[in-house]
Amino acid sequence: MGIIKERKITVILAGTLTLLSVFSLFVGVIDLRGGAAAAGGLGRLDVLLISRLPRLLAILCTGVGMSVAGLIMQQLCMNKFVSPTTGATLSSAQLGILLALLFMPRSTLWSRAAFAFASALTGTWLFIWFIQRIKFKDTVMVPLVGMMFGNVIGGVTSLLAYRYEMTQALSTWLVGHFALVIRGRYEIVYLVLPLIVIAFIFANHFNIVGMGKTFSKNLGVNYGVVLFGGLTIAAAITASIVVVVGSVSYIGLIVPNIVSMFKGDKIRGSLIDAALSGAIFVLVCDLIGRVVIAPYELPIELIIGILGSVLFVAILIRRLSHGRKHISLGRVKASRAIGGIQ
Amino acid sequence: MTASKAASHRQGVTAARRCGESEGASSLSGSISDSISGSISASVGRSSARKIAVMSLLALIAAAAYMLVSVNPKFAAYAFKLRAPKLITILITAFAIGGATVVFQTVINNNIVTPCLLGMNALYTMVHTMIVFFFNTGSVAFANRNVSFAVDLVVMSFASMIIYGWLFKKTKYNVLYVLLVGTVLANFFGSMQSTMVRVMDPNEYDALLVTLVASFSKVNADIITFALALMAVVIFALRKELALLNVITLGKEQAINLGVDYDATIRRLLLGVTIFITIATALVGPISFLGLIIANLSRQLFKTYRHAYLIAGSALFGMIALVAGQTVVEHVFVYSVPVSVFVTVGGGVYFLFLLMRRKAV
Amino acid sequence: MRSDALTKIYDGKTVVDHISFEIPKGKVVSFIGPNGAGKSTVIGMLSRLIARDGGTAEFEGKDVAKWKSGELAKRLAILTQTNNIQMKLTVWELVAFGRFPYSGSHLTERDNQAVRQAIEYMELTDLTDSFIDELSGGQRQRAYIAMVIAQDTEYVLLDEPTNNLDIYHASNMMKIIRRLCDELGKTVILVLHEINYAAFYSDVICAFVDGKIAAFGSVKEVMNPTTLSAIYGVDFEMIEVNGKPLSIYY
Repeated sequence: MGIIKERKITVILAGTLTLLSVFSLFVGVIDLRGGAAAAGGLGRLDVLLISRLPRLLAILCTGVGMSVAGLIMQQLCMNKFVSPTTGATLSSAQLGILLALLFMPRSTLWSRAAFAFASALTGTWLFIWFIQRIKFKDTVMVPLVGMMFGNVIGGVTSLLAYRYEMTQALSTWLVGHFALVIRGRYEIVYLVLPLIVIAFIFANHFNIVGMGKTFSKNLGVNYGVVLFGGLTIAAAITASIVVVVGSVSYIGLIVPNIVSMFKGDKIRGSLIDAALSGAIFVLVCDLIGRVVIAPYELPIELIIGILGSVLFVAILIRRLSHGRKHISLGRVKASRAIGGIQ
Repeated sequence: MTASKAASHRQGVTAARRCGESEGASSLSGSISDSISGSISASVGRSSARKIAVMSLLALIAAAAYMLVSVNPKFAAYAFKLRAPKLITILITAFAIGGATVVFQTVINNNIVTPCLLGMNALYTMVHTMIVFFFNTGSVAFANRNVSFAVDLVVMSFASMIIYGWLFKKTKYNVLYVLLVGTVLANFFGSMQSTMVRVMDPNEYDALLVTLVASFSKVNADIITFALALMAVVIFALRKELALLNVITLGKEQAINLGVDYDATIRRLLLGVTIFITIATALVGPISFLGLIIANLSRQLFKTYRHAYLIAGSALFGMIALVAGQTVVEHVFVYSVPVSVFVTVGGGVYFLFLLMRRKAV
Repeated sequence: MRSDALTKIYDGKTVVDHISFEIPKGKVVSFIGPNGAGKSTVIGMLSRLIARDGGTAEFEGKDVAKWKSGELAKRLAILTQTNNIQMKLTVWELVAFGRFPYSGSHLTERDNQAVRQAIEYMELTDLTDSFIDELSGGQRQRAYIAMVIAQDTEYVLLDEPTNNLDIYHASNMMKIIRRLCDELGKTVILVLHEINYAAFYSDVICAFVDGKIAAFGSVKEVMNPTTLSAIYGVDFEMIEVNGKPLSIYY
């Protein structure tokens, strides 16, 4: 009984996602709803296989991946405002891609991914090392520092881009979009899916490490290893998405916050919901982007940027006027988390 | 009432005497402390004044260098005519950004923030793009520089007053949240701007792009006069609030205790900061991080809470850095890299350095 | 100074619940009570630092909110717990801020004298030119009190002045507070956690529980086992030292 009730949100989310996915398959420039096209079913099926399906998979992977990465980072840093966007991961990944383009002009997607991953990991680690050294009087300072950190890395990126006249090439990776994802381009699935599975397996570990160094030592969890591992997964997911679709901000910041408003902070339970909600969010944004100026489409990053920032400001203001009840910043309720471990 | 106060004073004196070991010792230590504190504060004032003098001299040298480097004597008059407005623009920008940042940091009670975090650069970019989007590059609002400056200024002032005024009210003057929302808004403005650009005619976009990069060369005498006049008005209107800055250093509660009408004061000061940044941005385009560097250099050099010195120092640092930087960019790099990129990278690294040193924010 | 039905609500929770009292003039009044009872919030509302959600707080027959902030600063001083200054300030400069309500930023000879006296009174003369961030916790606390003295107000409100001080400095602080009242004729209202300090050094005790006043009266009236047990929920025994009731609890 209790389990079904507890899973109610998850079931609703899964249902919504399925409906939206099917809907998304049939919205587009070429009318797939049948009847109209004289060429018959074969051509339509082709369109479906060549462009719509890979795109849908890419969208789902992006949504799931970014929100999982965000959730992991928030747990590990004990701060609700940390995410790939506010934790320098995204900007480092971009720098990595630029470096790959500079040093290996004929690099394949995989080597670019490797560069982006290495750089994202370094950037994230530097940032975490940095914020752990500094005593923050207010949790809000952490994302501020993160954004400035990101600005610095972005500055280096644009300096290099200017120097080697790569500004234009770089802009592809600055604005995420799904327009180029067609048949054969399933890399994102190969890259992101295994990482998400690993994240699910170690969810409880992240939860424990999020409670602090002494707490995890007490429970026999190796703090350093899990912290490193978790950040590596988050950075790897971010880097893969940046390489294939470009940077997609905010999902990692907003989705976990909204989920925890409803579900609390236990990562195992909220990981699935965050993943589903992230996918729904990106899917909706993608639909909007395709419909607004049809037959052209707007890059997903822009829609997410606009919707995401409005949502985020709404969350912040709500938190301010309702106190810490709705989003408990940076602190996990100990009793709840311990209950989850047992 | 005055009598009672005098009485309490006298009581205070006798009490002070009683608590000293003997009357002689107490008065002796009193006179010593008097002379020490007198001489110290005087010497602090003197050394600060000396530092200001040295910096002014440096700024002058930099300005002279900028005006004179590789000038062909034959065309000296022409070169001066070309360079003088740029120089004045740089000086105004440095003053606006330097002063605004010091005030902003004091109001927020945090030395590692800059008004750029409010997202005003992105707001400028968006407003500017909007004008092109809704009118077009041929319209007076874009083509005529004076009109364009005025439109930028008016639209941005209104937009920022509404947006940030609303934010301050909504967050109950919790400035950290305003900053966080500001950075998010920067992203929002950026996305809006890119969306408009995507739908825009490519030729229009090319014309627009030139005006979106920070540069000191797009200013004429009319604009300079207007900007200066506006800044003077703001300073005059805020003279009372500016005098309260020293007390605001003590933090909100102490400032209220000492009789400052805190919320109203910081609201007006922040409005002034917004206008100053608007002026600087409308003059030269988006330029981030500069304020952070110069304000902190000034705080490091002067180590005082007196804002007259801090603001003057910050403005002077800005002038020296920008004028020297512009000279280098023009003559060494031959414009290949915009100053703003240097400022972002340099400022960012300096910012991280500041964080590491402080270890608590 | 009096309040009537003073109320503060945070997030729908009533933190201060219709509190009414009158502070007697020229006395040391201690606010005691368990954590979260609303003591600091009351002090904040009395001193206009915190906006109230209901009721009145009057100072000298006039609503605190209606006082001109600058005028009130000459009559009433408040020192809270959190005082972090980012700026390099010397003791002299900090204490001199106490004269701001009178002379703004330009100090007269009389102001300088008041600052000097305040510094001497708090025995900080040797540290006049030290930077406050280089002082020990006790010295810094004394510097802040010196600023309040320089402010020369009839009323002084202190929020946990003994917080973070060791026993030596805490009891010294309490002696100073007593002297502020006895020698300078000030009315001192303070929040205290250590009830024996309240018992030993104050004239009147006001005990808060759950945003309401649980007891208000002279030390003898409040300091008895029944009242204290009702307030704190632990058993108390009383002894008498120098004619003052002290409590033992464990």
